[in-house]
Amino acid sequence: MGAARHPRGLTRLHPFTLLSIAGALPALAWIVPSPSGGLSTAAVALGLAISARAFRTAIFTAAPFWLFLLLLHDVPTTIAIGFRITTMVASFVWVVAALPPPRLVEAMVAAGWSASAAYVFAATLSAVPVLRARAGRIADAQRCRGLSPRGGPVQRLRALRALAVPLILSALHEVDERALALETRRLVPGARRTPLSPPSDHAVERVMRWALAAACVAALAWRLR
Amino acid sequence: MTRLALERVTFRYPATEAPALVDVSLEVAAGEVVAIVGSIGAGASTLLLVAGDLAPRVVGGHLEGSVAFDGEGVRGTVLPTPWTQLSGMAFAVWDEVAFGPANLGLARDEITRRVDRAIARLGIEGLVSREPTTLSGGELQRVIIAGILAMQPGLLLLDEPTAELDPIGARSLWELVRALAREGTAILVASSDLDALPAVADRVVWLDRGRLQAIGSAALLGSEALVAASLGTTVASVWHGARLPSPYPVSVAQALQRWERR
Repeated sequence: MGAARHPRGLTRLHPFTLLSIAGALPALAWIVPSPSGGLSTAAVALGLAISARAFRTAIFTAAPFWLFLLLLHDVPTTIAIGFRITTMVASFVWVVAALPPPRLVEAMVAAGWSASAAYVFAATLSAVPVLRARAGRIADAQRCRGLSPRGGPVQRLRALRALAVPLILSALHEVDERALALETRRLVPGARRTPLSPPSDHAVERVMRWALAAACVAALAWRLR
Repeated sequence: MTRLALERVTFRYPATEAPALVDVSLEVAAGEVVAIVGSIGAGASTLLLVAGDLAPRVVGGHLEGSVAFDGEGVRGTVLPTPWTQLSGMAFAVWDEVAFGPANLGLARDEITRRVDRAIARLGIEGLVSREPTTLSGGELQRVIIAGILAMQPGLLLLDEPTAELDPIGARSLWELVRALAREGTAILVASSDLDALPAVADRVVWLDRGRLQAIGSAALLGSEALVAASLGTTVASVWHGARLPSPYPVSVAQALQRWERR
């Protein structure tokens, strides 16, 4: 977390800038004609994922989509849609890896958002690593009880059920307790939180965000003409 | 001065027939420590949720009767599981402790002052730069309590606050509870650390299946009824086991005095 507390490289950018990049890439992937458009945006998104050491996660998450597309469509369509989906997946994986939720909350609160709204937004980003860690703990516990994730499809399905049910139930239980804890620490609707260390937002970055939005609108107008 | 007043409170959780609390009336004054004892399912945690304005407002359910808080400061509740009380929004312990005060919208200088004081009171200065998720249960419990103290609650509600602590940590916490009471904080604590309560609690409340069975001084922990319900102190239980006359002493010091007087 030390690196996240003192961000380096691209992660030094303001959280809104990171979100703008992560939003603009998928938008452009779907607007610009494929396969060249999708290929370009996917390359950029995967490059970003490499910079955040999240390349493998992005590839492994995107791979099943390619498989399903190939089963449903011909090769040109698979490539066209596949690159776009890869862009979406890689952008999301990158922003989750590069943007610590506390920084996002600080930025949103500094921008005038209510603390609870900022928390809900940031919790979406933090859910993936939290659930992954919990799934790992549950898998370890089930292994201790003799459940093996190896074997034929039936055994694997049984192992998946033994992982999924406790994962969902424990997540729901924790939601209840966390709601109480946040409430008692005054994360309530309408709370005006004091930002403790708001990220700096330089003029250059603000211009860059508007430029990204303008690029998306321009690309859309170009496609619709 | 009464800080919290519960008047004939009956509470039911959503979709349950049996009430978790039945006709409970209780007052807690500023500077007073009131301990709730009871078996599992007695309703102690529910009473804390009701007193902290978390039930039914957050957990749902139906409440009859009235709960009045004098509004001096906030109501701070420490729940029994520290892992689920993390904000999830802090890089380090200092930020975690500052989470509540920041949500109160205080000035940064005031937040810093309160957080540093709370951290010093809990003796966790050595943890301030650690990431909260890497802490042990006991360390985390102290961080969570520091986070609540930094909000300067007028009413502090503690649910099994020593469950994750080692004996030294537990002793320090009980000393802190007494110190907070001396400063005027009203404290309602549910605990199964029965041996610690005679030195901590001004009054003891015995709950059983949601009903208030008895209320009195810490000597209640040496009553025949509580000892029979396995809710007496160890000293009282030993005295009872030795078939010595009741009321039983609740602490070693009391037992020595009684023994010498025989």
